[in-house]
Amino acid sequence: MPGIWITTRAWLLMLPLLVVMIAVIGWPLVDTVRLSFTDAKLVGTAGGFVGLNNYAKMLGGSNFQRALMTTTWFAVVSVAAEMVLGVLAALLLNQQFRGRTALRALMILPWALPTVVNATLWRLIYNPEYGALNAALTQIGLLDSYRSWLGEPASALTALIVADCWKNFPLVALIALAALQAVPRDITAAALVDGAGPFNRFRYVIMPYLAGPLLVALVLRTIEAFKVFDIIWVMTRGGPANSTRTLSILVYQEAFSFQRAGSGASLALIVTLLVTILAVAYAALLRKAAGAS
Amino acid sequence: MSALEIRDIHKRYGEVETLKGIDIALDSGEFLVLLGSSGCGKSTLLNIIAGLAEPSRGDVRIGKRSILGLHPKDRDIAMVFQSYALYPNMSVARNIGFGLEMRKVPAAEREAAVRETARLLQIENLLDRKPSQLSGGQRQRVAIGRALVRNPQVFLFDEPLSNLDAKLRMEMRTELKRLHQMLKTTVVYVTHDQIEAMTLATRIAVMRDGRIEQLGTPEEIYDRPATLYVAGFVGSPPMNILDAEVVDNALQVSGSHETLPLPADLKGTVPAGKRVKIGIRPEALRLTSADAAGVHIEVHVEVMELTGPELVTTAKLGNQRITACLPPRTRLRAGSEQLFSFDEAALHLFDPETGRSLLTA
Repeated sequence: MPGIWITTRAWLLMLPLLVVMIAVIGWPLVDTVRLSFTDAKLVGTAGGFVGLNNYAKMLGGSNFQRALMTTTWFAVVSVAAEMVLGVLAALLLNQQFRGRTALRALMILPWALPTVVNATLWRLIYNPEYGALNAALTQIGLLDSYRSWLGEPASALTALIVADCWKNFPLVALIALAALQAVPRDITAAALVDGAGPFNRFRYVIMPYLAGPLLVALVLRTIEAFKVFDIIWVMTRGGPANSTRTLSILVYQEAFSFQRAGSGASLALIVTLLVTILAVAYAALLRKAAGAS
Repeated sequence: MSALEIRDIHKRYGEVETLKGIDIALDSGEFLVLLGSSGCGKSTLLNIIAGLAEPSRGDVRIGKRSILGLHPKDRDIAMVFQSYALYPNMSVARNIGFGLEMRKVPAAEREAAVRETARLLQIENLLDRKPSQLSGGQRQRVAIGRALVRNPQVFLFDEPLSNLDAKLRMEMRTELKRLHQMLKTTVVYVTHDQIEAMTLATRIAVMRDGRIEQLGTPEEIYDRPATLYVAGFVGSPPMNILDAEVVDNALQVSGSHETLPLPADLKGTVPAGKRVKIGIRPEALRLTSADAAGVHIEVHVEVMELTGPELVTTAKLGNQRITACLPPRTRLRAGSEQLFSFDEAALHLFDPETGRSLLTA
């Protein structure tokens, strides 16, 4: 029975990987689900069963709702800006000019930097005493005195969004550039002869080629942005006055800063569920787009 | 006044000069074919007319005005591309009407024009489809429709049939000819296929290395090729080219004992001892008997290939090879000695150094 042997062999070969996966992902996940129904602390008490109390407390609490708003705002604005910037950069880098190859390579740099490095760089730029942004704005006369960009609730989230865009628009630009290079030369020439101006050429001729790849970029970036943690942790730790506290930061604070493992676990699972819903919705969208083209 | 005039066009890309002075004047309704192998500059010339490239020197005029520097859309031209270049996301109807849409032609008028064009090309039933749902031939019709609908002064075709299979290519060739006869538009058509050039053109410009080798009607190109290159490029199988030498008012075929008569208008003008190239079309050769009229040559038959309509026979004349297209039922044996004949008027003579014909000089 060669069929059975092939199946057995396949399982045998997969086994080591399966064991590792179950150990590092499966078991912690199951344990998180268990924890989320208890009032366990991070150290000390193992905690007793409290049913759905944690979920009710978290979902009903103002912290969660505010963090959800902050996260959504962060994700929507930064991803939208990244898409626009990325496509514009790609359109520019798709033109014929001297030094194009060097510029293309240079553009990748922000994206290639580790997030922590990028966050540290932007902290320097935003520094209230010697930051480049303050210096530049006062020197061109747009600002009277130095401001603490990351220290004021009104500007901290925007400052973070700018830093995140700077890091992530190159990915969108890279994907868009690859798509642009797939647009046949004859088709753009035909559109020129047909009399389509730059805007109509982009809308009717180039956009159909960009749509699919951009959708992939959109999916990747939204899910990433929704889970954002590291750049915020390095730059503001969720402050000032919790104005940059996203869901991931909130989970971290709940579970580790406040050491409430039980409610932290329930919050983490809620975030996981939200991201899963996003991913599934996008996957459906992608399938639909693939079917349409 | 010419419908399209190309004056002293030069194009230089850095060190490389791809067009070295092109002059053509077309009357309204002419079908000009730019014929040449790849890299001869024919597509560059077409792009310059379209406005997709600018010449380094020279002028292009449509009617009275120079169109250099004008945007492609303002040149009153339409272009059909080799790859069809249909917009993949748009229906056939929208593809055809896109040029009108961009020119802000009202929807009702546009729709009528699209419908009329589709009727002309027999693609009315395809108007709602997307390009991906069409066959190659249908796509080509849509691409032609997109050019037709705008009714421009000049149509430009860039190897429009070379992506089609042989059968479809013949069909579309006939279709293009029919359309041209009906619409009487001015056409510039780029191809490397000499059959397309011969069948479609009212005039052919054979191009080579950035220059026009010969500009003339298909008959002129075929009957009186100006250069060895044209002689070898047009005709299938290509013209036989044999080395020969002028000996007191006759031609001695090199490597054989055959002497051929020197064409009458060359008697006395070509010095004895001059080396020349003789050209004879394969289809000018006949299998003959000793007492028949014409010039006779004795050959040693090597290979016969029956193509259906003709028997392509390769033979040796002395130590040079010669090909003849004989009637299909000709009885021949490989290895036999045969007599071929041809009319004296079918003989072409070229200068081996310049490559130019000695007859038209």
